[in-house]
Amino acid sequence: MFLHYLDLAWRSIRKTPALSLLMVTAIAIGIGITTTTLNIYQMMALNPTGERSEQLHAVQLWSHGPDTWDEFHMQITYQDAMNLRNLAPQFKQLAQMRSGMVIQVDSDKFEPELRAVRVTDSDFFSMFSVPFLYGTSWGEQVDKDAAYHVVISEKYNQKMFGGGDNVGKTVYLNRKPYQVVGIVDNWNPQPKFFDPMNGAFRDAEEVFVPFSLLPIEKFQVWGNISGWKHEDTKNFSDTVKSEKVWIQYWVELNSQESRQQYKQILTGYIDEQKALGRFTDNKTSADSSRLNTVAQWLSIAEVIKEDNRILVGLSFLFLSVCLVNILGLILTKFLKRTSEVGVRRAIGASRMHIFSQYMVEVGIIGLLGGLVGLALASGMLYLLGEKFGMDSSLISMSNSMWFIAPFIAIMTTLVAGIFPAWKVCHTKPSVYLKSQ
Amino acid sequence: MLKMNKVSKVFKTELVETHALRDFNLTVNEGEFVAVTGPSGSGKTTFLNIAGLLEPFSQGEFELDGIDVANLNDNQRTQIRNEKIGFIFQGFNLIPDLNLAENVEVPLRYRGMGRKERQQRVNAALEQVGLGSRHKHLPSQLSGGQQQRVAIARALAGEPRFLLADEPTGNLDSLMARQVMELLEDINRKGTTIIMVTHDPELARRAQRNIQIVDGQVCDFTMYQPQQESNKDVQLEEALSE
Repeated sequence: MFLHYLDLAWRSIRKTPALSLLMVTAIAIGIGITTTTLNIYQMMALNPTGERSEQLHAVQLWSHGPDTWDEFHMQITYQDAMNLRNLAPQFKQLAQMRSGMVIQVDSDKFEPELRAVRVTDSDFFSMFSVPFLYGTSWGEQVDKDAAYHVVISEKYNQKMFGGGDNVGKTVYLNRKPYQVVGIVDNWNPQPKFFDPMNGAFRDAEEVFVPFSLLPIEKFQVWGNISGWKHEDTKNFSDTVKSEKVWIQYWVELNSQESRQQYKQILTGYIDEQKALGRFTDNKTSADSSRLNTVAQWLSIAEVIKEDNRILVGLSFLFLSVCLVNILGLILTKFLKRTSEVGVRRAIGASRMHIFSQYMVEVGIIGLLGGLVGLALASGMLYLLGEKFGMDSSLISMSNSMWFIAPFIAIMTTLVAGIFPAWKVCHTKPSVYLKSQ
Repeated sequence: MLKMNKVSKVFKTELVETHALRDFNLTVNEGEFVAVTGPSGSGKTTFLNIAGLLEPFSQGEFELDGIDVANLNDNQRTQIRNEKIGFIFQGFNLIPDLNLAENVEVPLRYRGMGRKERQQRVNAALEQVGLGSRHKHLPSQLSGGQQQRVAIARALAGEPRFLLADEPTGNLDSLMARQVMELLEDINRKGTTIIMVTHDPELARRAQRNIQIVDGQVCDFTMYQPQQESNKDVQLEEALSE
C-alpha cells in the first residue's frame, strides 16, 4: 500500500506543480538556513581527539598576585613551563608556542616566505597522534640539549621539495639551517584543540621546531602574551623572566591515579613558589591549578560562541515560520481534494488509509524540500567561505548533515502535515458525493 | 437484507432542527430491485446515505445483512461499505487522475486484496460493462454513459451484496440512461440487491418495487408491473431500431 501511496503522492505533486514547487521552496529555504547554521555549530562542537580527550590535559596555573581579575589564564609563564618540565619527567608533557619564521630551501622553485611555525617538544607528535609519512620526530635528547631539527607537513614537503622522502635535507628557518627529521602525513585537527587561543579554526602549522631552541634563537611570539600586572619587557630575556603568560602546556595522564599524582605535584610546586614570593593571591595551592581535558579545554576556549547557539536557535525558529506557511499551503491543497476523499471514504477507505496517503505525500514534499535545502546549504556554506573568508573546516558539509537535513525536513513537514491530513481524513463523504 | 425500523435523522444547527427522516420503516429483501422516488428535499438521499452507512442516524433500528449497524464504529462501518455495498452516483464520482482500471481497483486495494486477484476482478468488471478494452483510458476521455459504466464496474468489482444508486441516469441522455438501466437490471437478475433513488418515474416503474418518500417517511409502495411500459420507452426503442 505504501508504494501505491507513493505513486498517488507523486501524481498529486505533478498535478499541482506550482503549489508543490512553492511548498518545496518554503521547506528548502528553512532547511537550507537551519542546515547551514547547524553544520557550522556541529563542526565547531567536534572533538578531534576522540577517546584521547580524557587523557590529554591542558595545564592552567593561577600565578596572579592579589586583587587581580578572576579568570585562569589559558597559558602559563615560561619559568613555570620550564619548572614543570623538570619536576615531573615521568609524564609525557610538552611546552609550546606559535612563532613565525622566514623559510627557505636550496631551490629556485621555492620562494622564501614568512610562515607560522609551531615551537614544541617531541612529545607533541605522540601525545596528539600526529602520523608520520617519512622519518619521525626529533629525539628526547633534543628536547634537553637542543638541535636544529625540523618536522614539516607533507603538503609543505610537496611545496618545498616537490614531495618524496626528504628526511635529512636542509631547510633554512630565519636563515639558519635545520635538518628535516620527519614529514607529517595529512593532519589538521579541527577545531585546533591544542591552541584554540590563536584561532580555533585555523589550520595546523606545517613546520615544527624543538622548544629547546627557544632560549637560543629567541623566536618571535606569534600568539597572545598577557599578564596580570604591568611589566616592562623590552627584550626576550625580560619576557622569559617575567610573569607574562605565553606558553601552552599539555600533559598526558592516562588514569585517575596519574591525574591525582600530577595534581599533587602541581600543588607542591605552587606551595614552593608561594614560599618564593610568587602566586601571592589568596587562593589555596590546590585551587591554583587546573587540569583540563580536551573537551573542557574547548569549552573554556569558547570554541562554540554563545552567538552560534543563538543563531542555531533562530534558524530553527525561522524553520518553524516556514512550516506554518507550509501548513497553510498543505491545508489549501488537501481541502481542494475533499470530494475525492469523499469518494474514497464511500468505497471503503478508512480514515487511517486517507491519513496515511496524505502523510506520505507530505513526506515526499518534505524529502524534496530537504534535498533542495541541502543544495541551498552547500551554496550558502560556499558563499560564506568565498565572500566572508570563513575557515574552510567550518564551511565543509559534515557527512552526517546529508542524513540529518532530509530527516529534519521530513519530520518537520510531517508535523506540519498532521493537521491538514487529520482534517481531510475526517471529511464526511456524504457531503461531497452529491456535490462532485 | 435491509431492515429499517422507526429510523429518524435530525440535522441540528444552533437555531434549527431539520427532520430529514421520521419513523422511517422499510424492509428490502435479498435480490430485490427497489426504486425510491419522491420530491426534492423529501429525504431520498438521506435515506440512501444512511443505508450506505455514509451517515449515522439519530434514532431507530437498522439491520443490514443481519448486522445491527447502530453501534458500529467508523472502521467497522467502512469495512461493511467496502465489502458489502457498491455505490453508483449521479455524478459518477470517478477519480480523475486514475485510469479506468485503477479506478475500478480502488475499493479492492482498500480491502487488502492481492495484485493478481485485483487484476482478475478489474478485468471481469470492465468486461461486464463493455469497457474491457479501455483499461488505460482516463475518465475524461470517456462519455458520460461510459463513465457511469466504469462507476458500475467499480461497484461490481467488489462483488457487493447491495448496490445503492443515487440518480444513476440523472446526468445521461436517454439512450445512455437506457443502457445503464439495462445494465443494472442485468446485475439484479444475477442476484445483487439494488436500491435506486431516482426522480424519473419511467425508470422507477422498471424496478420491482417503488417506494415514495414524502417528508422523510415512506408513503407508498408499488409493485413492478411489466406491462406498464411507458410510451416514451416504446418510442425510444422504435427510434433505436430505425
